[in-house]
Amino acid sequence: MSVERNAKALPGQPLIELANVSKRFMLARERRRSLQEIFIRLVTRQKAERDSFWPLRHLSLTINRGDCVGVIGPNGSGKSTLLKLITGILAPDEGHMLVNGRISSLLELGAGFHPDLTGRENIYLNGSIYGLSRAQMDARLDSIIDYAELGDFIDTPIKHYSSGMYVRLGFAVAIHTDPDLLLVDEVLAVGDANFQRKCLISIQHFRDNGGTLFLVSHDLGTIQSICKRAIWMDHGEVQADGHPTDVVMAYYARLAQQEEAKAQKSRQHGSDHADGESAPTAADAPPRRWGTGEVRITKVELCDAQGEPRTNFHNGDTLLVRLSYTAPQRVEAPVFGLAIYHQNGTHICGPNTKFGETPIPVVHGDGAITYCVPALPLLEGSYTLSVAVVNFANSETFDYHDRLYDFQVYRGKSNEQYGLVTLNGMWELAEIPANLDQQQPTMLQV
Amino acid sequence: MNTAIPIQPKRPGSLFVHRLRELVRYRELVRNLVTSELKARYKNSVLGFVWSLLNPLGMMLVFTVVFGVLRPNHAVEKYPLFLLCGLLPWNFFSNGVMGSINSVVGNANLVKKVHFPREVLPIASVLAQLVNFLLAFIVLFVALLIFRAQFSPWLWLLPFVILIQTCFTLGIALILSTLNVFYRDVLMVMDVIMLAWFFLTPVFYDVDQWPKTGTLLGYPVDVQRWAYILNPMASLINVYRDLLYKGYRTNLDFFLRTTITALIVLALGYWFFTRYSDRFGEEL
Repeated sequence: MSVERNAKALPGQPLIELANVSKRFMLARERRRSLQEIFIRLVTRQKAERDSFWPLRHLSLTINRGDCVGVIGPNGSGKSTLLKLITGILAPDEGHMLVNGRISSLLELGAGFHPDLTGRENIYLNGSIYGLSRAQMDARLDSIIDYAELGDFIDTPIKHYSSGMYVRLGFAVAIHTDPDLLLVDEVLAVGDANFQRKCLISIQHFRDNGGTLFLVSHDLGTIQSICKRAIWMDHGEVQADGHPTDVVMAYYARLAQQEEAKAQKSRQHGSDHADGESAPTAADAPPRRWGTGEVRITKVELCDAQGEPRTNFHNGDTLLVRLSYTAPQRVEAPVFGLAIYHQNGTHICGPNTKFGETPIPVVHGDGAITYCVPALPLLEGSYTLSVAVVNFANSETFDYHDRLYDFQVYRGKSNEQYGLVTLNGMWELAEIPANLDQQQPTMLQV
Repeated sequence: MNTAIPIQPKRPGSLFVHRLRELVRYRELVRNLVTSELKARYKNSVLGFVWSLLNPLGMMLVFTVVFGVLRPNHAVEKYPLFLLCGLLPWNFFSNGVMGSINSVVGNANLVKKVHFPREVLPIASVLAQLVNFLLAFIVLFVALLIFRAQFSPWLWLLPFVILIQTCFTLGIALILSTLNVFYRDVLMVMDVIMLAWFFLTPVFYDVDQWPKTGTLLGYPVDVQRWAYILNPMASLINVYRDLLYKGYRTNLDFFLRTTITALIVLALGYWFFTRYSDRFGEEL
């Protein structure tokens, strides 16, 4: 195990290099040092048995100057441990680490603020925690005060600050230390919307001026928009490292897979109760299912292109809804339909066989009908499905399942982020006015 | 992943130099921590810094009443002055040690969030006490003038004595603040030890009042000599008294031995602290 830290970044060397680094945490640390334990161990000559787990295992990673790395992964995947190793709060148990240059971390804004000191005094104190001299802080003082938007409060002890002011001051100092590497851990979730935007702009500014950024976030959109490289961590190992879109897609695919496995399990588990489809009367789960029961929908399946049932889809996937029904008696010209709702209650669409010009002359006995969406236009989110069968005039409801079938859509083909659906429209650059030809690049940077 | 440059483990020696250099780079932090500790201590108190002066005066008054009036100590002339020469250095030592024990644990939120050389914390804690001590020295000098004490011609040695005492205090502070991270019992244990140490150090009495010789397991022992050898604080306070109270030029070989002891304790403390400081982040 070795760690090398240099205050100055050396040219030609990576900023950070981790070679086969592992970190171990001991569990049950409290017990091992009690006198009883020590005594028993001495007498029985046993080595203390301690559980340990490895938040990081054999991790190798190189970060070069100007890299802009986003780290994603579920909780407990080792992201924060990695950050703490890089900052130097924790030391690795195995492997070698090289850290060049000064690091400023936004792990905890305002760590080390002294409540009894004024804002101005705390700026100096905090600056020296990041390793800056008094002269360096003098040069930055005005800019920091200006950035933090504290006004006259700058000479008030910070115990009187609101939490927003506290965080603003902390961020202002951190961003003004001109670090070689800026570590950001979910910090954008603090402060009000205006300040969040300001932080984001500052971080982008830092990146654009050649700063190296290491960002941990659950907000994959932020990662995709800020970073040029993403690392997906899970179980203390790097699962993928590359272009953010590719890595995020791979991460989503795994999430969807896991969700699917979970959903399948619960389907199997719950199947004993669920498919006993008793007559759909008004008394049977009143708000969710009703109808006369002349035609009953006995099974609703959401399937992928291969016809496999699933509840997780990607934007752009094929969605196939298969309705199985049974009609104890002959029913003429029924209309099958469905409705898709967003989680927030918005009714997105309601196709049926009548609109779809697929008339069904008569049903009798068991049968099935499918509705196919070749490329799902829904954007990322949670959706729910209603299905119904009614008579042709829509005056009688035979069976209605109101928002009983949930499904998830993950980011896929479309990169769109706003609203609920993509219209799959096409953008095209029409024509550029000839006299503005010279300024064309700036024109496009809207 | 290919590593561009193979990372070579550094030799321990260069690592040590590296750590020292990092500490120097963070001297501004030490300074800021000292001032913020001093500022915070006297915030919301009416007399503020005056307490640094009043506190030893109050203690002097108590001891003078006890050992000057209630149980008169005729062996020592100008007792209040004699006392003050020992009490001030002792207070510096005692407050420095006790105050620094919690310096790492008390700053857990900082240690867990930001990287900086952790030795900065006990160092700042001891230096804050040093500032207090120097302020209190003003009281001592005023008292010396009033009582017309015999200044030693070797008075210029005084800054070195203070420096050596600071080194010794710091060495102990480094060891105890490390131990306190792993065993919180340290503070409780040290409470008792410091009390015993106080009585075993000639602060309110003169070491001449001890028996000159005694026997240990049948062998004759020079009690006074061993008291100095085993207790660097006794030696240090003795030097303070020589310079300020008795007007001796003090024994230089004697002072040299104390210096070496103090430097060894400091080196040991620094080694001990840096050896374990990497684990502070996960222990706290």
